[in-house]
Amino acid sequence: MPETNLLPDKVGAKDVALDTSLKSNDVLHNRYKIMGVLGGGGMGTVYQARDLNFIEVRKLVAVKEMHTIAPDATLRASMIKTFQREANILATLSHPAIPKIFDFFELYDRVYIIMEYINGSDLELILQKTKEVPIDKLIEWAIELCDVLEYLHDQKPQPVVFRDMKPSNVMIDSLGKVRLIDFGIAKSFVSGVKNTMIGTEGYSAPEQYKGDISPQSDVYSLGATLHHLLTRKDPRLEPPFSFNERPIGDANPSAPPGLIAVVNKALTFNPNERYTNCAQMKADLQALRYRPQLSFNMNVGASAPNTNGNTSSINPTNMGVGPSLVPTSLFEDVSATSSIQPSWKFKTEDEIRCSPVAYKDFAFIGSYDTNMWAVKVDTGELVWKFATHGGIASSPIMDETNRSVLFGSEDNTFYALDYRNGRVTWTFQTKDRIRSTARLAHDHVFFGSDDGKLYALGALNGRQIWSFELGTPIRSRPFVTNELIIAGGESGEIVAVTLSGNRKWGYRTKRSVMSSPFVDMNEGICFIGSSDNFMYALDANTGYNSWRYRTNGPIISSPTTYKNLVVFGSADGNLYALNAQSGREKWKFKTDKPIVASPIVHRDAVYFGSTDHMLYCLDAETGKERWKFKTGGAITATPYIAGDLLLIGSMDHKLYALPLVS
Amino acid sequence: MNIIRRLFNNPTNEELKPTAEPLIAPETLPNAMPPPLVSLATSTGEIALNTDTLTTDITNDRADDPLDAPVATAIVTKPLDPDSVSSLNLEGATRELVPDQLYGHLLHNHLTFGVASHVGAVRSNNQDAAFTLFSAGRSADEIPDFGLFIVADGMGGHHDGEKASALVARVIAAQVTKSIFMPIIQGDNISQNPISELLINAVEKANADLNVKVPEGGTTLSSCLVIGGMAYVAHVGDSRIYLAQRDTIEQITRDHSLVQRLIELDQLTPEEARDHPQHNVLYRALGQNESVEVDTLTRRLPPRSRLLICSDGLWNLVEDHELLDVIRQFNNPQEACNKLIAMANMRGGVDNITVVLLYMPG
Repeated sequence: MPETNLLPDKVGAKDVALDTSLKSNDVLHNRYKIMGVLGGGGMGTVYQARDLNFIEVRKLVAVKEMHTIAPDATLRASMIKTFQREANILATLSHPAIPKIFDFFELYDRVYIIMEYINGSDLELILQKTKEVPIDKLIEWAIELCDVLEYLHDQKPQPVVFRDMKPSNVMIDSLGKVRLIDFGIAKSFVSGVKNTMIGTEGYSAPEQYKGDISPQSDVYSLGATLHHLLTRKDPRLEPPFSFNERPIGDANPSAPPGLIAVVNKALTFNPNERYTNCAQMKADLQALRYRPQLSFNMNVGASAPNTNGNTSSINPTNMGVGPSLVPTSLFEDVSATSSIQPSWKFKTEDEIRCSPVAYKDFAFIGSYDTNMWAVKVDTGELVWKFATHGGIASSPIMDETNRSVLFGSEDNTFYALDYRNGRVTWTFQTKDRIRSTARLAHDHVFFGSDDGKLYALGALNGRQIWSFELGTPIRSRPFVTNELIIAGGESGEIVAVTLSGNRKWGYRTKRSVMSSPFVDMNEGICFIGSSDNFMYALDANTGYNSWRYRTNGPIISSPTTYKNLVVFGSADGNLYALNAQSGREKWKFKTDKPIVASPIVHRDAVYFGSTDHMLYCLDAETGKERWKFKTGGAITATPYIAGDLLLIGSMDHKLYALPLVS
Repeated sequence: MNIIRRLFNNPTNEELKPTAEPLIAPETLPNAMPPPLVSLATSTGEIALNTDTLTTDITNDRADDPLDAPVATAIVTKPLDPDSVSSLNLEGATRELVPDQLYGHLLHNHLTFGVASHVGAVRSNNQDAAFTLFSAGRSADEIPDFGLFIVADGMGGHHDGEKASALVARVIAAQVTKSIFMPIIQGDNISQNPISELLINAVEKANADLNVKVPEGGTTLSSCLVIGGMAYVAHVGDSRIYLAQRDTIEQITRDHSLVQRLIELDQLTPEEARDHPQHNVLYRALGQNESVEVDTLTRRLPPRSRLLICSDGLWNLVEDHELLDVIRQFNNPQEACNKLIAMANMRGGVDNITVVLLYMPG
């Protein structure tokens, strides 16, 4: 016969109260023989015990012990009262998922509840022990949880709000049925937290932190619990209320869209957009039960899950049809303004690979047909053309002081033409093709050549001031600050040269750099992409790399900025907007083909072309499409804004002038 | 046409000029910088004055605004003796300002900083940690100014809090020294890895060490690495970094706290957050988990801007605009640090208070 200890007399000392005071074989209240500890936390301990009143059978009970260690007598009394009231509520409840309460008493410095012992595992343990919770089981549990919550919320005169729905409070018993444990009683014992604590409840609804507790808070917590089960991402380790940043479909491809929609609706940030009650949620879950893939039919309506203002990944009308079938582009087409008509088009004799520039009444565009074309900007009528001896792949720039159009050609020559008539003002010969667009700054022209040199010429007469030997073709457009000229080369090297032509710093990427650098002059940060797939942020003064961001394709497209965002395209087909200070993605926009052209920002819109033939206009803040326009060929050039027109060249040989709509 | 002139300039002269945009008309800039008026202090916090260069001929009509005026201050690398600080601060007393005229308004081109940490008026131990490291040189090698400034606010019983913050500050300092500082002073190109990734590696190493050595402890971390005029920030938790420029102050880090999240989601006002029962619940800290997500950001520190790193013991009791007032008021960063600690203590000093303050040269 095992040894039996009686509880010691009144436990007075405070320090003992913090310890687990009941040991195996202790007998509590002359009736409950402690078998072991089931669990515990800061507020108390739960023991497994045998009820000795039943001699013949082995009746197990759970003994819940609450520490009432508040030093203040009044506070202590009120805590016990709250506990008692809650226990009384429990005693009036009768539901298969709610454990029965047998007894309640105060002994020495503790309060005890004797309740039904549930043989099973809680969901937290199940999460740890399994690789994946079967979806059909999960739906059953969710339905049962809705059912018991519905029962609690229907209590009169006042609904009982569980307040603490989370995986560790849900037991799955030996019959596979859901049992709710821990009725939030402990919560009322939590007084003002004094010390900084790490970790949040993770499952609580936002309004709960303001003290607004309603049955809908339980809906949110149930949603959070299901989200945790489906994604296996513990919300206590994530920023609070960030469920929509961890889409269920990403983490769990087997989750049916209908179930995802139910969970997302339960997790809606605004309680008014959540399920009003658990009965509704239960009905939606039950609809999933029989033919989860096909017959899902619910009343989510237009209130797409939207927990904090970011758009959800769910398309509401797409939910009913399971994993098919409605292409999202269908919706984009509806919202896109398909009525954009070009004001004029101008056809050259070969592909347009570069960007136009406009000055006064004229627009200038180079073509691979070797010509520089000047047209009237408002009508597209030809004014003059100038033939070089090679294709023109670099964009013209305008020197307003000297009234010249400046550009390089694949005939190795750099040209300055009088903008009015196309007559040569001066030329400059390099030793290889020129594909780098020039930069005009400080009355000088800076450009690179395939001969491996970066040139600085006087803008007035084309006299060479200096050249800097990089030893590798330079096809990117240099950026000129008050101190430095920054350019990238085919070897992957990015170099900064002082205004007097001396090397200041270099940074080596792993593949060729065709993307042109962009320097945020306020912050002194240089952004530049490389064919090694990375976008880099470098200190413009020192070349130190502050961050890099990896895309899934070479970056040929040159970055630009909008407010605090760096915007650029990648050959992976996406246009990216990153936070300039942290290098974190703010949004991205997917096109059908690689993006090699550079975006521009005008007011609050981003314009860019893709090799999928489209010119896109996006909201710069959100990356949402405003409109798009289809050209007859791939677009590799950057758009140019001339007054109320947007000029864009395409590989279909044409220059388009589109009315500027944003 | 300063720029054009420089296009043809002898580059060796070029290097001696300040790299930032000249804020004084170029004509008034000497060809070479004068020797520093106030040279780098020794570890005893001494101030060495170079009296030969004392001049009063450069006047500035905005001298009443320290963020606008060129600032000449001493580098005080040693925190004040904690005991003397505490008696000093609790009375709200600070030392008499040295009149500006004594220093003159000469430019000097290194940052200066102050650091102070205080247990506060309520707690019995200081769980905060501060760490500073600064190097400045002037030579043909052109090694940029380099500084590492860390504030960590530890938490956990049984002295785990102070162990955690101390360990994390130390490990990060060692890592950053090894991966960034040593290559710079050895004249190697620092590794091709971005500085933000090197900082994240350092924080992850600190987190891993913390989990092993002080498993029950946790800590916040706000660190700022300065190379030249660029600040590279790594941040976890609810200590804060503020950037003050002229008459604005901007919190550049984001608190990883429950209430901040509720504020971002328009569920709480900042006023409600202050009194919220869970206002000091963090959702991210070092020592919480095997992995830690680190916020990194890069900011240019404009000339004469000032950067404040502090634990919540300060910002919970002193409003942002008051921080700015003090930062603008004092030309000596150490005195500003002492004043801020005194203010927090005057208002109850309910938590440990730690302040690191950087003044960028103008």
